[in-house]
Amino acid sequence: MSEEKVELPQGTLDLLILRTLALEPQHGWAIAERLLQISSDVLRVQQGSLYPALHRLERRGWIRARWGTSDNNRRAKFYELTAAGRKQLEVGTRSWRRLVGAVGQVLDAG
Amino acid sequence: MMFDDLRIRLRALLKRDAVEHDLDDELHFHLERQVEKLKTTGLSDAEARRRAQLMFGGTDSIKDACRDARGVTLLDHTIQDLRHATRVLWASPGFTIVALLSLALGIGATTAVFTILDAVMLRPLAVSRPDELVVIRALYRNERFVLFNPVYEALRDRQRPLTGMAAMSDAPFLPVSLRRSEAPIYVQGSFVSGGYFGVLGIRPAIGRALSVTDDTPGAPCAAIISHRLWTREFNQSPSVAGQAITAAGTPCAIVGVAPLRFRGHQGGYDVDVWLPLRPFHVDMLDNHQLAFFSGVIGRLPPRVSRADAESQLTALYQSIVAAEPLSAFREGGPRPATADFGIRLLPGAQGLGALRETFDQSMVIVFGVVVAFLLIAAVNVGNLLLARGAARTTELATRAALGAGRGRLLRLLATEGIVLGIAGAALGAMLAWFLTPLLARAVTMQWFTVTLDTSVRPASLMVVAGIVFAVVAVISIVPAWRLSRVELHPSLTGAGRTVGGGQRLARQLIVAQLALSVLLVTVAGLFLRTVASLNAVDPGFEPNHVVMFEVHRETTAPAGTPSEDRQKLVALYRALTERLAGVPGVRAVGLSWLGLFGGSDLWLPVLRPERPEDKHDARIDLVSAPYFRSVGMRLVRGRLFTDGDDDTAPRVAIVNEAFARQRFAGDDALGRVVRPDYARDPQPPYTIVGIVRDSKYNDVRETKTEPMIWVPLAQWPLEIRAITLSTRPGAEAAVAREAAAVVKSVDPTVMIRRSLTLREQVDQTVSREQLLLRLAAGASLLALFLAAVGLYGMLSYSVTRRTHELGLRMALGASQRTVVRMVIRDALLLVIVGTLLGVPLALAGGYSARAFLFGIAPNDSATLILACTSLVLVGLAAAFVPARRASRIEPMIALRYD
Repeated sequence: MSEEKVELPQGTLDLLILRTLALEPQHGWAIAERLLQISSDVLRVQQGSLYPALHRLERRGWIRARWGTSDNNRRAKFYELTAAGRKQLEVGTRSWRRLVGAVGQVLDAG
Repeated sequence: MMFDDLRIRLRALLKRDAVEHDLDDELHFHLERQVEKLKTTGLSDAEARRRAQLMFGGTDSIKDACRDARGVTLLDHTIQDLRHATRVLWASPGFTIVALLSLALGIGATTAVFTILDAVMLRPLAVSRPDELVVIRALYRNERFVLFNPVYEALRDRQRPLTGMAAMSDAPFLPVSLRRSEAPIYVQGSFVSGGYFGVLGIRPAIGRALSVTDDTPGAPCAAIISHRLWTREFNQSPSVAGQAITAAGTPCAIVGVAPLRFRGHQGGYDVDVWLPLRPFHVDMLDNHQLAFFSGVIGRLPPRVSRADAESQLTALYQSIVAAEPLSAFREGGPRPATADFGIRLLPGAQGLGALRETFDQSMVIVFGVVVAFLLIAAVNVGNLLLARGAARTTELATRAALGAGRGRLLRLLATEGIVLGIAGAALGAMLAWFLTPLLARAVTMQWFTVTLDTSVRPASLMVVAGIVFAVVAVISIVPAWRLSRVELHPSLTGAGRTVGGGQRLARQLIVAQLALSVLLVTVAGLFLRTVASLNAVDPGFEPNHVVMFEVHRETTAPAGTPSEDRQKLVALYRALTERLAGVPGVRAVGLSWLGLFGGSDLWLPVLRPERPEDKHDARIDLVSAPYFRSVGMRLVRGRLFTDGDDDTAPRVAIVNEAFARQRFAGDDALGRVVRPDYARDPQPPYTIVGIVRDSKYNDVRETKTEPMIWVPLAQWPLEIRAITLSTRPGAEAAVAREAAAVVKSVDPTVMIRRSLTLREQVDQTVSREQLLLRLAAGASLLALFLAAVGLYGMLSYSVTRRTHELGLRMALGASQRTVVRMVIRDALLLVIVGTLLGVPLALAGGYSARAFLFGIAPNDSATLILACTSLVLVGLAAAFVPARRASRIEPMIALRYD
């Protein structure tokens, strides 16, 4: 497993968080774990970026927080997507795909 | 989305503890899960925890980042800074009080003075589009001339550039009975021509305005009253239109009420009743030699340039003058060239500018004084902050080491200054509230009672806010910026021993303060000498212990034959003189047609029958026999009038020395015959029987006495305007009361418009100088005090900072005296440099105030030397305590303390 650190551009983390929450509400740690899992251990999100991002998204009104009980019966803060957040996820995903497509085209061209 | 944003921010603000707690819990939860995960890979609890903590990083910076994300960092920091600043200021009450006081005084005085300056010089009339208004002034040989009514009407009817013209005649003592049955009261009124309300663009609050129809002789008399009068006397009753009143002896009807803000066309002159001009001045309408307008205004539409309008109006004026009959000009003199006449248009946004013209220069000087003082106060506070900050370099270095960026430190230091500035401004606003009416009282005019409109208006508020902002910026940003640049690292290792950059700026500021203080003290000294000189002038008469009534006889009785009228007047005057002489405390009773220091300046040609070509003009007054005694004018040769000089006796006259010199140079004037030439009331020749000493007539500053002639009232009875009663010292008030009652009982139609002492009347002519003196004296004393405090603070901190060095010196053999000398030398150096820089400032200040100086040159060396000396003394006084502290330094303790 290479330890090459992948730089996440600003805003991308927001998008990933929104995507992770699209399925079900989760708490901060679960989001980090899920990202790790799905990306096959490539995307290791630091707490220093995760929590500020969560608070930022909350301020923007794309996610909302409430306290609940976690699967090991501890008190945890769960985040869930709002309607506006769902919308933002769609928009963000579309423009990301377009960006990736364009960059890929340039890199693949001769 | 905005709503969420706001909600989250508010919650973060108001429930800070809860939010912080939440964050703590959240991060703790994450940590625990991480630990658990690591334990599943086989690590021990302790090891897992260690790894998890490492991965986590610094919790605090995460929290900070979250706080930032919540958007309250700025506010958080600001509140922290404010609390810290308040704590620090509270902990050093001496410094805080001095700083607050000096700021409050500076800002308060500046605000008050600016309010008055605005009211006198800047505030426009409450009319529509005041910038279009112009004041129309006639010129003859570029000197101010007058417009006579026939000329004005011709000009108004034939001119084109202006959209309208109006003439006004102000009547500061207009007798009005608001209800027919009541006795009349005096109000400030104005007779205005038909176009007045149209030109100004005033729409009445109630009823209608005066128009050209009202301004016709013979039309029913219509009056407009002011909003203030309407409120006071009619309780804002809407049915006031139609109310029957009597104005100037004529039955009138109120037809309208002026709008709330409109107070008249002359700054400071609040009009209560407007009446039409022509019906009340019928006999003057065709007069080409007597002018009765207070002023003429017009409206210049924006499409016409002022220069164009002026040249058009001048050409028109000149053609009107060319067509004037010869009788309009001085009899016997050559016809003046029409090219010598002209019209000038002055800005009329403030209306007629009599008040402004009287006070504008002095206002600017007063403002300059106050701004200089404000600068001193602000610099003082900034300096004190700087000095104190320099002593906190250790604290600042610690904060920097703990992660505070330069911006953060800057904000911290600046907040102290801001807190002081805002608190000082608030106190200053309260001070201005008290000070403004006091200052307003010093603005007085001789002819009318001044009421200044000092209500707040947006433009002036912005200026004051700008001043406060500038002050706050100076005292907060400059020291903060200075300090944050100081190298912080070395100071962590021990008390700074060298003179830092902040020190140098502080010294420069003290020097600037001292220089400004020299300016203020010198100016105050000049005004002090001026007022003293003015008071020391011998006016040529005795102004002390003389009560003066300004009187006016309101007659509505039909006149009999001229001879009967004369007899009646003479009888009245005799009765008045006798009865008033009986009032206890009265020493002499004088009646006069014009009076002294009344502002009148009436000249008549006085002919010499034996020398027809000698027809100089002279001032003239008609007085009762005891008049000269009542005002203390001194007889030089011959005799004064007696009761025997009545209608049956030969005509006699008294002249002053100037008259005798001018007409009879060298020869004796006594026994000569002269004839005052008054066309409306031709006079026989009078024989000069007495010569009195020259005296001041309207102003103590007069350098040349004009020729003057007096004639007994008994021989030429006209309506008197002044009664002068010389009294026993101390009896003035009682005499004034009783004499007023006596006058009323002798003849109730004689109304007393004003009752004052001759001393007050004379002093009114120097009211500006008095105002300037009081302000300059007050400001300079305070400035000296502040400079002393600033110097003391600086020396004090200097000694504290140099304790180590001074201790070392003393340990190496320096005596106490040497150390004391060092401190004093430091102080004197600052004082001397400040004084040297201040001298040219003081000279400039004296020069710019020269119009108000009297009996002293603007560059008077004695005053300068005194000012410099006072500063040196202040410097020494300020150095006393720090010097003593320096002398008490114990070398052992000083060297040990690090």
